[in-house]
Amino acid sequence: MLEVRETRLPGVGTKFTLRTSRGDKVSSVVHMDGLREIYHYPEGDEEPHVITLNDEEARQLGAIIGGVVYRPQLVKDLEVALKDLVMEWIELPATSPLVGLTVATCRIRSSTGATIVAILRESGSLATPHPDEVLRADDTLVVIGRPATFEEIRRLVAEGPPD
Amino acid sequence: MLVTLVVASALAGRLRLSAIPIFIVAGILLGPSPGFPEVVSPSEGTELLARLGIVLLLFFLGLEFSLDRLTAARRMVVVGGAIDLVVNAGLGLLVGVLLLGPSPEAVLLAGLIYISSSGIVTRALFDLRRLADDETDLVLGVLVFEDLAIALFLGIAAALATGEAVGGLEIAGTAGLALGFVIACLLLGRWAHHVFDRIGPRLDREQLLLGALAVAIGGGALGEAAGLSEAVGALLAGILLSGSEVRDQIEQQLLGLRDFAAAIFFFAFGLEVDLSEADDAGLWLAAAVPVAVIGKLVAGFVAGRANGFSPRQSVNVGAALVARGEFTIILAGLAAGGAALDAEFRGLVAPFAGLFVLVTAVAGVVLMRESRRIGRLAFPPRAVRRESRR
Repeated sequence: MLEVRETRLPGVGTKFTLRTSRGDKVSSVVHMDGLREIYHYPEGDEEPHVITLNDEEARQLGAIIGGVVYRPQLVKDLEVALKDLVMEWIELPATSPLVGLTVATCRIRSSTGATIVAILRESGSLATPHPDEVLRADDTLVVIGRPATFEEIRRLVAEGPPD
Repeated sequence: MLVTLVVASALAGRLRLSAIPIFIVAGILLGPSPGFPEVVSPSEGTELLARLGIVLLLFFLGLEFSLDRLTAARRMVVVGGAIDLVVNAGLGLLVGVLLLGPSPEAVLLAGLIYISSSGIVTRALFDLRRLADDETDLVLGVLVFEDLAIALFLGIAAALATGEAVGGLEIAGTAGLALGFVIACLLLGRWAHHVFDRIGPRLDREQLLLGALAVAIGGGALGEAAGLSEAVGALLAGILLSGSEVRDQIEQQLLGLRDFAAAIFFFAFGLEVDLSEADDAGLWLAAAVPVAVIGKLVAGFVAGRANGFSPRQSVNVGAALVARGEFTIILAGLAAGGAALDAEFRGLVAPFAGLFVLVTAVAGVVLMRESRRIGRLAFPPRAVRRESRR
């Protein structure tokens, strides 16, 4: 657990100081009147960089840093856990042997047990695509299945369906 | 008058100074001092508002006075505060005795010289973006310690202001009484907050505002009746409420009123300052200013080193403590009205305090701004290679 040092600043508020894994020293001062300040100390005793925020700005920034507003995920590794099932977004590069095959003939379902629940594409995304839908280059397949099956799906995307 | 205060406040913002010295200057310039046009004359109205200003200032000081605060950084507060007290109150007393001989007046002068301005220092720390610095913890700790010492000096001032002819024993008695009351109120407040917590949430905004004002002013009146001065009474009333949950609400409700009354107080103090007396106060200033500046720099440096800070950080501590302000003015106000005091002293103390605050506040803020550079000059990189990285 990250160590955060909490210090009372009499007549001002409370100061929280932490050292990041990269060695930066960051302090945040929360004033009694709701003002927040973020201090970043460069090495040595140079002047710190300071950001001053009012209550509303601080909440907004806090939500952004906390991942409430937007959670950073690489599309390739996007996963949503649904109990013991996982939903994953899989990109289909133009080089994949699956391009040009239908949902049925790419055999994702029959060989892995995972199901394509949607195809995201620029021209218009499809929910629960028909088995005869043809996969195109740069499609993103939204697949639901057990976590263990995703290695196999990636292999299918790279090498094509088994004979 | 109010227009003046707005202009003064705006000017203070421009100069990145606390508004306190500017208000005093405005009072001096517009008041009945010779050589300047008398725009505003002191009246019953200004006097009443000024008194309300003192009461609210000290009531707020009391509100901030919780035991938690005192024990938050105990070691720093005690070690730093004690060094500051010994050096600066000691030097102040030395100056007082040299100028006035061993007398109650000398003790009061020591108080005026000793106590830094929480208001100006905290404001400057914010403006200069020093609040998160490690050594700032020590600076604020020393200010907390000084708040405790204020109770003692107020007791002395009260004894002098209300007594007929006082001996040293009586003064010590009143000062001790004031300190005893402070400790009693701290303990009582710890218990009494249950009562306030029960009453507080049931009050609406207006009732809370009026109730808090009643407590503050009532405390002041009681203090005066008990021979402790209204300032001590208001301080005690604040301390009594400091442990309760209604404290935050009271602070929010009264903050604007306090700032208003404080501005009037400093302005009214400026009005009282008669610059024709300043010639004689000049001698005091010449003795007190160097002592005050050097004393704080030295005490801050020693306190910093004693608490394990690097030499450069310790320079910052000393520089941050130089500014004097509201408390020096409050003490001077009490002293000027002290019936038992030497008449010459009473005439001189207001102009001295006004100019003293002016000089030290400006010097303090400038020193704070330049303290990193001073630290680097005094302790070049070679000497601080093993600087602690706290």
